[in-house]
Amino acid sequence: MNLLRKQLVPEASSKILTDNKPLGNLFNLSMRLLWRDWQGGELRLLFLALVMAVTSVTGIALFTDRLEKALLLESANMLAADRIVSGRGVLPEEVLEEGQARGLRTAEILSFTSMAFTDSGNMLVAAKAVTDGYPLRGDVIIAEEPFVRGRPVQNGPSPGEVWLESRALSALEIEVGDSIFVGEAELIVSQIIIAEPDRSGGSMMDSAGPRLMLHMDDVIATNVVQLGSRVSYRYLFAADEIGELDSFEEWFRAREEWRGRYYIRDIREESEEVREALERAESFLLLGSLFAVLLAGVAIALTAKRYSERHYDYVAILKTFGCTSSQISFIYLSIQIALAAIAVVVGWLLGWLVHWVILIFLESLLLISLPEPSIQPYVVGAMTAFICLLSFALPPLLALRETPPLRVLRKDMSQQKIGANVPYVFGILGTIFLVFWYSQDFVLTSVLVISVGAIALFLSIVSYLFLRSSGSAGMKAGSAWLLAMTAARRRRKQNVLQVMVFSITIMSLLILTLLRTDLIEEWQAQLPENTPNHFMMNITQNQIEGIESFFVENGIQGNQFYPLISARVTRVNGDLPDPGDEDQVTASRGTLTENAQLDDEIENLELEGVEIDSEIAEAVSGPQTDAPPVNGEEATTGGRRVRGQLSRRQVTWAEDLPSENLITEGAWWGSESQPGYVSIEQEYAEWLDLKLGDSLEFEVNQQIVSAEVSSFRSVRWDNMQPNFFIIFSPGTIDHIGATFLSTALMEREQKILLNDLIRLFPTMVIIEIDGLIEQIQTIIAQVTSAIELISILVLLSGALVLLACVNASLDERFHENAILRTLGAGKKLILTSLLIEFASIGFVAGLIATIGAEASVYYLQEEIFEQEFSLHYWVWIAGPLLGMLIIAGLGVNSTRKVVNISPLNVLRGVI
Amino acid sequence: MRTVLPADNEHMIETRNLVKAVDTSEGVLTILKGISIHIAAGEAVAIIGASGSGKSTLLGLMAGLDGSSSGEILLDGYELSELDEEQRAILRGQLVGFVFQSFQLLPSLTALENVMLPIELKGDAQAREKAVSLLERVGLEERWHHYPNQLSGGEQQRVAIARAFATKARILFADEPTGNLDTATGSKVVDLLFELNREYATTLVLVTHDDRLASRCDRKLQLVAGELVSDESTEEAASA
Ligand SMILES: Nc1ncnc2c1ncn2[C@@H]1O[C@H](COP(=O)(O)OP(=O)(O)OP(=O)(O)O)[C@@H](O)[C@H]1O
Ligand SMILES: [Mg+2]
Repeated sequence: MNLLRKQLVPEASSKILTDNKPLGNLFNLSMRLLWRDWQGGELRLLFLALVMAVTSVTGIALFTDRLEKALLLESANMLAADRIVSGRGVLPEEVLEEGQARGLRTAEILSFTSMAFTDSGNMLVAAKAVTDGYPLRGDVIIAEEPFVRGRPVQNGPSPGEVWLESRALSALEIEVGDSIFVGEAELIVSQIIIAEPDRSGGSMMDSAGPRLMLHMDDVIATNVVQLGSRVSYRYLFAADEIGELDSFEEWFRAREEWRGRYYIRDIREESEEVREALERAESFLLLGSLFAVLLAGVAIALTAKRYSERHYDYVAILKTFGCTSSQISFIYLSIQIALAAIAVVVGWLLGWLVHWVILIFLESLLLISLPEPSIQPYVVGAMTAFICLLSFALPPLLALRETPPLRVLRKDMSQQKIGANVPYVFGILGTIFLVFWYSQDFVLTSVLVISVGAIALFLSIVSYLFLRSSGSAGMKAGSAWLLAMTAARRRRKQNVLQVMVFSITIMSLLILTLLRTDLIEEWQAQLPENTPNHFMMNITQNQIEGIESFFVENGIQGNQFYPLISARVTRVNGDLPDPGDEDQVTASRGTLTENAQLDDEIENLELEGVEIDSEIAEAVSGPQTDAPPVNGEEATTGGRRVRGQLSRRQVTWAEDLPSENLITEGAWWGSESQPGYVSIEQEYAEWLDLKLGDSLEFEVNQQIVSAEVSSFRSVRWDNMQPNFFIIFSPGTIDHIGATFLSTALMEREQKILLNDLIRLFPTMVIIEIDGLIEQIQTIIAQVTSAIELISILVLLSGALVLLACVNASLDERFHENAILRTLGAGKKLILTSLLIEFASIGFVAGLIATIGAEASVYYLQEEIFEQEFSLHYWVWIAGPLLGMLIIAGLGVNSTRKVVNISPLNVLRGVI
Repeated sequence: MRTVLPADNEHMIETRNLVKAVDTSEGVLTILKGISIHIAAGEAVAIIGASGSGKSTLLGLMAGLDGSSSGEILLDGYELSELDEEQRAILRGQLVGFVFQSFQLLPSLTALENVMLPIELKGDAQAREKAVSLLERVGLEERWHHYPNQLSGGEQQRVAIARAFATKARILFADEPTGNLDTATGSKVVDLLFELNREYATTLVLVTHDDRLASRCDRKLQLVAGELVSDESTEEAASA
């Protein structure tokens, strides 16, 4: 007795703690409570929420980690390098040397057009000389026979050898092993080239005929390329460290004297489609995982709150047995950490499984083996669990320590000291931290935080007002409807919270669904299955019929023939044209350099004696045409700029509006067209500050033509189809004489027909973009699947939140309905009333979610995805309806127990 | 000197001019208006009074579950108002056992585990054996693996009594231990309580408004509206 007294001297109290209640015992107790709660189902939702957080985050992180690497690799393959330096004429040696000095891998490419001769014939080929290092990225696919799948190699031909494309062999009537003359050099055809990684990344010259690849050392012997002849040089660079590439690029860009002459590019500048697809997919995946974390956090918060509410009594009892507050904290901290640790491991496994399933699912699409994931995704997953737990779950659980022991005598006693809002503050801070940590993007963080915050505020006000609507809050048990409404009003505070949680959850799901649908729709519309993959140019009027019948005979899908002629705007309403700020236009499009380069290359073609209209390429250069021209390339050469002289554009005339063109102002002329009108692309018109009815004067083939602006059009520049800034009405410039352009869709096995086509129409130039389209479609298909999967993951998190939220109100409902039933209310009445209550909550939540989702999608599409926003009418019906059905379904399903269990059991505390 | 050694060691519990007031929306409500009592070691004392007279409040204060507004409480010589909640918890753990009207068993633990809980918290390795023997003592050896919701009210209260004696507490506080039980079950539970109380020589403070139950104690303290109106020995005590 006296011993005890001594121990109770306050200074020694901590000693007593360890003496009397060993931590081991407390830990055992924690684990037993954990086990019991687990068996009783108490912890299942919290655990599920944690697992969900870890699974989605780990899965998404693993997947994006690997996919991003893979996509970057895949895209780098389209260049056969990570960076390419190109430009006019011979490139400075210094660039190559600098790259080598920096430890980059390098290779050189020289493209030119040449005639290839054999005993039996000759043919214009797109020659490409490569050094030993080529390709730095991706594979060249070669074979011994024509038109087969082939095998990948990571090198080009050896000196003395050439590789030829399949159809050139049949055209030249040779086989593998035969020799061929390229200029003056005799070389052996050693392999057939099926595909090359950078076919699409090449220049016009690379598309002007079948490929012939030779070694750089043989170029001199051909004597085709001489000093002053215009050829296209490229230097290729690759490295495993992005940083090395970036610093090399910086070094290159710092050289003022090279500006405008030499260019450095990576894949993002190479293909607008791929760049956009990658960036949007990244944003989407990021957004998806942010939502997944947010929802998992909300689920954790809800379940933890319920869990801690259920544990007030435990704590009070434990305290009467002499547990101190710090011991209570220890017990619950152990429980949470143990739970989180298990959840992390389970989440890791599931996350790995999820990403593995996606990969299996994507395997057919992925042409390359995926790089191993880093450890990072696992760290991210575990961190998420603990941060979620710390910010969402721990505050309410730690608040347990403040439970007054007097609660064993007075039920109404609960801890009020910390205040009910502290958990929210922690949760909000935790969320902000997580979002920022994830996105590493201050703007996105603040946008997300502010918008969700604003929505939460708006929701609480609106739903509060809605539910406050008149009526007393008694228990009117007369009809199910009245019962439901009074119940909803009675639990106003919880209901407002529920509506808020439901709204935010449904909103997150709607946002992702809408974004996903719009993105995928846009991608599919951009390059549908039957996108024409061959361009035919330099066609004369009298060849059209022959070409058309050739297509019909061979089952090739041909398309409209567009006349093509180059023209320049010389006067606007009699004055010199005064274009707007060029920098602004180019900055927003950023493809000026490629235009300049392209023009340069076309010029080369002319010099090489290829019969090709020097500027037909503009209309077919796909995305590269998407900048209104700046004061003519001709004019800017050498830094001189002639004011008022615009560059030439490829123009056409047409009776029908080309597909995917939309009239934005004015009217299309239609079938009763009159000569003398012109339709202008809207950005070009804005740039020149044109108005409907303006009179324009053009110089076309040294002739002056004038026309009145009758409409403005929007044009899809990214659909890889012929697009025009300027279209005349039929009869305006027809007399001047033009060549024609058309497109066709040719399957892989139809490509051999190109030989016949060229033989029949030798002046025609065919540009093959099938490889490019296929590559882009592959990347987009991969990205689409990724997006679908992330949506499903977020959907699951969302379902969990809904379930947690419904369950959070179960305890009270059990008691209330047990009382109602002891008072004589029938099962059916209670069930119907529950259904009505949940359905109305769901409807309100769905409606609010729809408004929030549309607003957010509008903002996201404007700011991040750069898409045109339009209202999604179906959501306005589907949102509230789905909210109603899902919440009512979930709610009634979970609360069925409420009515099926005997009221006596409820009152006895079985539940 | 913080530790106050009792002048008279016979008094296990002593209150001096104990006042409890709470703030309510209608102003300050004084629940206990200066209570002074002495309870000797081993004594069994009943606190009786009408509903709302402050019985539970007094019990809670004496057990150190709550802090008083003024006055002193000495529990085995410790001045409770000088201890903070943490120290009071330690004191409770070593000195006090409880039996409540609503049993207060942990629903997720079995009967056995409920009884083991306080023993284990003390770090006693023999928790299981001791708990089993106590459950035998209260006649529930067959039901040890059952959860509280599988037991009747009387059975639950017997488990609670076993738990209360599990740590050999020297003071036992019971707040209407029969309040939720029918008369027959109630008297069985009370028999058990008194039996064990004698066996363990515990000081018992029992709140009840059941006069018959109160009569089985040594003394009856009657509260009316927060004031101690009578403090008398029962006939049984007198006759004993
Ligand atoms: N924390 C508190 N806040 C407000 N009022 C309180 C508080 N604690 C007790 N009271 C009030 O003090 C009075 C006495 O309460 P107490 O629980 O001690 O009564 P009791 O004698 O145990 O009654 P019963 O026999 O019904 O259990 C009651 O009117 C009660 O409402
Ligand atoms: Mg009471």
